[in-house]
Amino acid sequence: MREADGLAGREHPVGEMAQQDIERFERVVLPHLDDAYTLARYLLRDEHDAQDVVQDAVLRALRHFAGYREGDARAWLLAIVRNCCHTWQRRHRVDRIGLSLGDEVDAVASDAAGTDAAAIQRSERALLERAVAALPPEFREVIVLREVQDLSYREISDVVGVPIGTVMSRLARARRRLAVALGAGVKEAG
Amino acid sequence: MTMRCADCLPMIDALVDHELPPEEERELRAHIERCVDCARELALVVDVSRAAREGLVRHQAPDVLKARIRAAVSGATGASGANESAGEEPVARSRRRTYIRLAAAGVLIAAASSALTFAALRHGATESTESELLASHIRSLMPGHLTDVASTNQHQVKPWFNGRLDLSPTVPNLDSLGFPLLGGRLDYVAGRRVAAVVYGRRQHVINVYSWPATSHESPRAAAAQGYNMEEWQAGNIEYWAVSDLNRPELDEFITRFRDVSGR
Repeated sequence: MREADGLAGREHPVGEMAQQDIERFERVVLPHLDDAYTLARYLLRDEHDAQDVVQDAVLRALRHFAGYREGDARAWLLAIVRNCCHTWQRRHRVDRIGLSLGDEVDAVASDAAGTDAAAIQRSERALLERAVAALPPEFREVIVLREVQDLSYREISDVVGVPIGTVMSRLARARRRLAVALGAGVKEAG
Repeated sequence: MTMRCADCLPMIDALVDHELPPEEERELRAHIERCVDCARELALVVDVSRAAREGLVRHQAPDVLKARIRAAVSGATGASGANESAGEEPVARSRRRTYIRLAAAGVLIAAASSALTFAALRHGATESTESELLASHIRSLMPGHLTDVASTNQHQVKPWFNGRLDLSPTVPNLDSLGFPLLGGRLDYVAGRRVAAVVYGRRQHVINVYSWPATSHESPRAAAAQGYNMEEWQAGNIEYWAVSDLNRPELDEFITRFRDVSGR
């Protein structure tokens, strides 16, 4: 996967970082912490897990900063965050796809109730958050990268490590699922 | 919908996402004008995409997370240096009294602000203490290391130390003064178990270490690798505050800490 492509063999012990590299890292990478955290929140669906994984991912990015040449630092960081989320989930044997929908509904609804003011907006947003949370991980990540992070297909392809054609078909199927969940009344084709 | 239109599906998404080459976009738009199913599909994708863009939350990383990350990153050059006892980048230190004497002697005031780097009054025992405190502070910023008891409530943090230490640490409530309590943890510095009480300031973390004083020292201050540390004693307890906060704000914190706690 991308982890192997982009990061292998370039690890530098953090203690040996030159001051100018650290300053460049602070300037180029650290402005994207909100995006990194947002992705981790959607992938892990837990704020505490997301905090730990984002910190791990950023320090990992720092160690591999020599491997970052140029291009979009945000997409580069998001790829590392995404890989760390997957590693974290494997390590903790988390299979929350198996969570019952009832649990998801309660969790998302109570979460949203605490943050939004207008009741109608609250229920619509809760429905949407619930629908996204219930998506299989490979669909959820393309929806978040496209609709929340506004990445191009090429960037999503780099972050997820699949061909652009796969990004397209996953995004299309993810949107049909959301449409059904949001009550658009249109059946998923095929 | 015909088989041919089923093939259109991902293309319609790509159209909405402005990802189609001009030629393909023209062809698809021409088809959609003639095909009711695909027109409905286009409307659906536009609606879902808009709903997701407008409705999905863009989270903000918590300040404390940003603080931990920034501190860990800015300390990256020093993380190993702190473990080498007095290596190439020794922890510079000074006594506050030195400033006073320098100032009184009419030495340039400007020197006082950077005095830490050259007014190094060394005495071996404290040097390792300060190196260890710096290492402990940086280590505390690694994931999962900041607090053993994470609480903003002083009445939960203080009792947590009962039975874990032969000292009950001072835990004033400074929330209204802009220094929220983050929690506490047990740490090991200079060969003894010590209390570390953790406060926040915007995106910065302040560790307040305390242990029973073994000797009477005048207040000390030091700076190294972007971190500031200050020591004081009160009631036979030795306190150290360590942070990447700038010196005036760390001074303000210590003043508040001492005012509120009476220590």
